[in-house]
Amino acid sequence: MLSRIAESFFWLGRYIERAEATTRILGEHYQLIVEDQSISEPMACAVLLDALSLPHIGVEDGLLLVRSVVGESGLPATITGAVGAGRDNARAVRDSLSTDTFEALNAAHLFLSRGLTHSSSPGVGLHRILERLLVVNGVIDWTMPRDEAYYFMKLGRNIERIDMMGRLLAMRHEQLWPNSGPVAVLRAAGALSAFLRKSGPFQGADVRKFLVLDETFPRSMRMCAADAELAVRALESLGVGDGGMLLREVGMLRSSLEYTTSDDPVEINRLIADARQAAIRASNQANKAFFRQHGTIVWSH
Amino acid sequence: MATRSGPYDEMLVDGEPRSTHRALAATLDELGPEGLAERARQRDSYLDRHGITFTLGERERPLPMDLVPRIITPSEWSDVEAGVIQRLHALEMFLADVYGDMEVLNDQIIPRSLVTSSTHFHRQAWGLKPSNNVRIHVSGIDLIRDEQGVFRVLEDNLRNPSGVSYVLENRRTLAHVLPEVFAKHRVRPITEYPERLLEALRASANESVNDPNVVVLTPGVHNSAHYEHAFLARYMGVELVEGRDLYCREGRVWMRTTSGPRVVDVIYRRIDDDFLDPVHLNADSVLGVPGLINVARAGNVGIANAIGNGVADDKAVYPYVPALIRYYLGEEPILPNVDTYDLSDPEQREHVIANIESMVVKPADGSGGYGLVMGPTATEKEILGAIKAVKEDPRGWIAQPVVRFSTYPTIVDDGSISPRHVDLRPFAVNDGKNVYVLPGGLSRVALPEGSLVVNSSQGGGSKDTWVLEDSMTIERPIPLEVPRAVTIDMDVPERLDAPSAHDDRMLQQERQQQQGGMSC
Repeated sequence: MLSRIAESFFWLGRYIERAEATTRILGEHYQLIVEDQSISEPMACAVLLDALSLPHIGVEDGLLLVRSVVGESGLPATITGAVGAGRDNARAVRDSLSTDTFEALNAAHLFLSRGLTHSSSPGVGLHRILERLLVVNGVIDWTMPRDEAYYFMKLGRNIERIDMMGRLLAMRHEQLWPNSGPVAVLRAAGALSAFLRKSGPFQGADVRKFLVLDETFPRSMRMCAADAELAVRALESLGVGDGGMLLREVGMLRSSLEYTTSDDPVEINRLIADARQAAIRASNQANKAFFRQHGTIVWSH
Repeated sequence: MATRSGPYDEMLVDGEPRSTHRALAATLDELGPEGLAERARQRDSYLDRHGITFTLGERERPLPMDLVPRIITPSEWSDVEAGVIQRLHALEMFLADVYGDMEVLNDQIIPRSLVTSSTHFHRQAWGLKPSNNVRIHVSGIDLIRDEQGVFRVLEDNLRNPSGVSYVLENRRTLAHVLPEVFAKHRVRPITEYPERLLEALRASANESVNDPNVVVLTPGVHNSAHYEHAFLARYMGVELVEGRDLYCREGRVWMRTTSGPRVVDVIYRRIDDDFLDPVHLNADSVLGVPGLINVARAGNVGIANAIGNGVADDKAVYPYVPALIRYYLGEEPILPNVDTYDLSDPEQREHVIANIESMVVKPADGSGGYGLVMGPTATEKEILGAIKAVKEDPRGWIAQPVVRFSTYPTIVDDGSISPRHVDLRPFAVNDGKNVYVLPGGLSRVALPEGSLVVNSSQGGGSKDTWVLEDSMTIERPIPLEVPRAVTIDMDVPERLDAPSAHDDRMLQQERQQQQGGMSC
């Protein structure tokens, strides 16, 4: 497979995941601002914008927050930007994508380019975005052959998932909103039912532990690391390897989460920070090994 | 006595909003009828999508939720809360007494025949002592506000009060579709209810159990409140079971699981007493667990709410509750009753029959608004039927003068906002040490104009109910600089993005290609 194509699939996976996670997080964060006014609104906005690496000059209320995180094309940290960037990558590999996939992604892109309607509340609009993104992911999973392209997409998706989970947990909702924070974090991760079935009622530390270490919830950092590792192994079995460098990166991350012996909050926080750094290293390693190999001759005029 | 000035409007005085309601009224004005109509559509699709329904007959339908929230001020609420807690304490003591030493009957505070003739007085529960002495784990005391705005108790629900899931969902729904109304208020949060409920249920297990296994027992998916049963099980993170999932053996209740039988320590049952245990109660029941009462008697399972609570929320016992409060607590009731006639007293019965057009006649053991006859709006036939029924079975009925209880602005069919009668059901959870009253509760609205029947089974709607924090409205100056104290230690690594696939030159040349373009 062409390096360029592999790279596009990798980033397609990342951007769709980013858009979906950001939409979820924004929706719940906004609902929290509305329902529980114990934190000043500018402060609550700043927390989310910081976590998403977005500037927060002049964003002082929930509505402006929604507007700036829904954002615009060209800013891949925003929802619109991530969907746009995902679509750009999809265009580059349009010939290898199912038409359903491109259509679903295009529908999400068009919906966002029209902006949120003013006659509805932000929560309603965000839900519509989320629905479209869920369709994109569903179609990809049902129509993509399990080949190299798919595994690069899957690698990207899981690396982004780890990164986004880290951003969500960095906000410390349970400290800012002791009452309603833990539930909001779980909802933002799509983990509320899974958590409740397993653990019953809420305690901040338990929520964090669950989202980092749980061995059954597909978006826990541990399971994302395991999925990323599976993707790398699948690539290796297809003859796409880098001498085990990338496998070492994701494998070490997976095992550090799987075999941690302590679950005190300090250790959990260390694991979160390590996981996010490992995700960055893995992304860079994939870049170096498969997409932009050293020794590539570049024509510079 | 006050003049019959008409019902108390909770939002408006002489057409102007009360000071506590100004911000809300202004927000509603800004949205206007069109804005509200659009939000109403979004609310409907939200409720449909989430399947927030109750089942009426064969059909599942969303519980209608009005977009205008109901505001309760902190001072109003503190009375309600204290009154509910007081009433519950007295009723708990009454139940312990009735199913124990019966001193209240010996002291003739309440007629013995009234208790022993109650359809909900279960001799099977006599001498059954819950391990933490709690029988009313969850209650819903229905309140109305009379013409002067005074909160009065309309009835007690101590068996299986339902509706709390709609309280929690209404808050979430309103915040989702109409966030604007929250902007200028500080509303007390209600999210902790499932946690409090679980704590109370766990506290009712046998003391020797370290980590009690709690289950919610539902009659099944065709029950009108099934949505709520599933909701509570989910939020407590416990198993939702049906009778057929449980069995009793060796003095224990077990549930059938894929890894073999597992002991059940506490059952939050949402099925009626009669169906709970075919061995001791209704033998035809296929919804219950045979032998359950034996296990409860052995002290090996907590049952919430306790069996036989219906004797305390029997409408014929209701007039005596103020006397029970004085008897057990030596206090005056904080929340007064509504005047009620005892139809087994010939004199009162005659008075009621003579003035039946201004009375409401209710079945003593009924719930859900079934079987009640509203004098002012009843047909000739209904009135004659009610008189006949009262004469045949005076113990089976009570009568009250029709109270035109308070109204609250509500969006009606044509999109306009007009007053509709509302009641309030605050939910309280007793864990044996404290009674937690959920701030707010379920406000039910009678949707047809002038109607005084709010029951959802009779087509009533509901409202999100806000208890405001002590600091009424929020003064939030916009700081020039956001305080960074909390966010300072947020360790956010860099964002990685796809390297640009094109530099400007490539882009330009790609677009310049003439051959194969559309321009030739």
